[in-house]
Amino acid sequence: MVPLDSYRLANYSVGLPCYICGEDNLHDAEICRHCFAPLALAHQVNAQGIQPQILTTIGSSGAGKTVFLGMLLDMLSRQPNGLQLLARGAFSITLQQLTIGALAQCRFPQKTPLEADRWNWVHAQLKSNEQPQPLELVMPDLAGEAIAQEIEHPFSQRAIRELLSKSRAALLLVDAMSLERGLVEQDFFLLKLLCYLQELPAEAPPKSRRGAASPWSHEPWGKRPLAVVFTKADVCAGCFDDPEGFAAQYLPGVRQFCRDRFSQVAYFAAGVAGGCISRTIRYEGRVRVPLRIEPRGIVEPFEWLIQQLQGGKKRNALREKLRFS
Amino acid sequence: MRLHALKSQLIAVTAWFPMLGSVVVTTAGLVSGRLPLLAVGLGALAITLLVRCWKWSIAAKANAHLTTTSGPAHDEEAALTAPSSQPSGGEADLKALILEMLTRGRYALLLRRQIVSGLSAEQLDFTRQALADGMVVVPAGEVMLSDGESTADDGRFTDDEVDRYRLARVPVEDFFLDRYLVSNRQYQQFVSAGGYEQAALWDPTILPAVLDFVDQTGHPGPRFWKNGRHLPGQEEYPVVGICWYEAAAYARWVGKRLPTDAEWVKAASWPVAVSPGVWQQRKYPWGNAFEPCRANLWGCGPGHTVPVEEFAAGASVGGAYQLIGNVWEWTSGDFGYDDVEGPLLSEPASAAVMKCLRGGAFDTYFETQATCQFRSGDHPLARKHNVGFRCAISACDLVLTADYELQADEPADADRDVADDYDGDESSYANLDLDDGSYVSTPSNPLPIAEEVAV
Repeated sequence: MVPLDSYRLANYSVGLPCYICGEDNLHDAEICRHCFAPLALAHQVNAQGIQPQILTTIGSSGAGKTVFLGMLLDMLSRQPNGLQLLARGAFSITLQQLTIGALAQCRFPQKTPLEADRWNWVHAQLKSNEQPQPLELVMPDLAGEAIAQEIEHPFSQRAIRELLSKSRAALLLVDAMSLERGLVEQDFFLLKLLCYLQELPAEAPPKSRRGAASPWSHEPWGKRPLAVVFTKADVCAGCFDDPEGFAAQYLPGVRQFCRDRFSQVAYFAAGVAGGCISRTIRYEGRVRVPLRIEPRGIVEPFEWLIQQLQGGKKRNALREKLRFS
Repeated sequence: MRLHALKSQLIAVTAWFPMLGSVVVTTAGLVSGRLPLLAVGLGALAITLLVRCWKWSIAAKANAHLTTTSGPAHDEEAALTAPSSQPSGGEADLKALILEMLTRGRYALLLRRQIVSGLSAEQLDFTRQALADGMVVVPAGEVMLSDGESTADDGRFTDDEVDRYRLARVPVEDFFLDRYLVSNRQYQQFVSAGGYEQAALWDPTILPAVLDFVDQTGHPGPRFWKNGRHLPGQEEYPVVGICWYEAAAYARWVGKRLPTDAEWVKAASWPVAVSPGVWQQRKYPWGNAFEPCRANLWGCGPGHTVPVEEFAAGASVGGAYQLIGNVWEWTSGDFGYDDVEGPLLSEPASAAVMKCLRGGAFDTYFETQATCQFRSGDHPLARKHNVGFRCAISACDLVLTADYELQADEPADADRDVADDYDGDESSYANLDLDDGSYVSTPSNPLPIAEEVAV
């Protein structure tokens, strides 16, 4: 009895720092009591000595973040060549499972709830034939409403702020269909979001353990890679052919802002459903129903981001080498 | 189409320039009194006149062909049904015409009841061979249509399950289905023959939109072509980037039609009555288990379309290739909101604005969405990169025996049916429902082909 109690006491006496916000938690807690991130991330970091990098998928509510991320995970985990994604921890598969399960039955998955403790997180190892060293990634599925709330009222959603501060790169999802219909809400939302990112302070390099390089970006957001992805592009003529032209036509303000304030921006088009219809369903109201699943342009923006990250790593290494020489 | 007419008029005017030039030179020679100039002018005029005469004779021959080959099916039939009264030159033309129709894949027109009696035995053999090479026979019978994946995994149905799973038991007559998807090469024949300019081939309601059916360079043709031609090296790839109306127009041009939903499912799933009240119907053309090597779907193929003759291992029992995978196929059926599972509260009035798609494509992610039963839909004007088609024709619309002769009262009935709808005007001709071919045969006058097909 005594050794066991001592063991427990020892565990409880030392707090477990959350990987996202850095605050201490009890060692057997499931999620961080401050930012609601899964503490499994912290356990894996401690146990395996890995420092995953954060890659965020952001956009307005209904832009298709959950579908895009779930589809991306499934495609990268299924394809034999190129980039391959291997999940770390059972919690990392839940998003993929929910998304693919719904799409296989010609339904879109449920909206991500506003509450941060109900978000799905993905921690995975990214392998590629070109890079011998695998990359550890954390990719949370954030709620669009929570992002909007944090933008309007900074510090109201701590998890969002911490994630965006430490994120190395971001996929910015834009609903191309609503843009083509002339709805301007997304335009303003994106401008606010980009301004918010610009105002985020550059993260100070954390004290790395065992001399490992910091996985967090401590560059200002203007120097981090940003992939603007037009989702639901399958219903927009010409979007796949020329995404940047589409941006110039429907998002001129955002494009101008990105050109001036962000050094690494690229435009992509993506679609998951080959065709959709709108239906009125009991207790759900008017919903969109996919008629068939034909993913297109899903992997390309992610590949570009990874290339930028790895290119940036090489550039930094070269810079360090030149400095010492 | 007005632009095309203007272009042809311009060409006709410019064709007279050489003759005009030579007349001017001759006149100048006469006026100036210079003999060499006069001689040159007269020589040029003579040569121009000779060339013009030769061109006229060629054009006259081509015109005779054009009225039969590029005109409506009834014009062809009329031209071919009365060959005996024509002189030997006409017979030669007829032979050339038949050859041309065979090379263009329009053999189904030659096997129409009104035409087949005009064919020689050799021509009939060739035509039948073309039919055998290009199409597969699907025997008559019933087929189960479901609204999704609510069917048994082993492909067996009992009468109880038919009721429980909301299955529809649909009878299908004997019919022929294209062995392969329509390829770029085949569709090129249609485009080159001016298919987009023949109003009779198109649904009258869609005629204003036909001007918008252009390729990347603005020429009439599928969306992804250039300069009215398919991309080099893609002759045998399935034609894509065509809307439902373009598919229907091509089918009409070759004397066929788009398959119905029930026909498509029957050709793919090949239902068999195992015992009274129990049916066996395949989930995939090769069986009930998915096998990646048999179809070009996401993760199983190269990630793009492949030639229509590939994936032979995935052929149906009847021998139709790529019913599953490569490209979705337009069928003649409507796709309404009822076709999606789930509790339905209300549906808009325009519930059937979509046309049905079957079979899955190279980028179809889930194999459960590329089964014989799964159906999807799209707007009939959509010109997608992964949607093609194949054609069908009812067996009762074709005659394959040489000894077939029209009965005394039969042609009168048939002709009267046609004449009732056709008053010689192209627009009224377009109203004829050629797709179902109902005017060709009636249940009271069964055609000999029925016996042969049943075998």
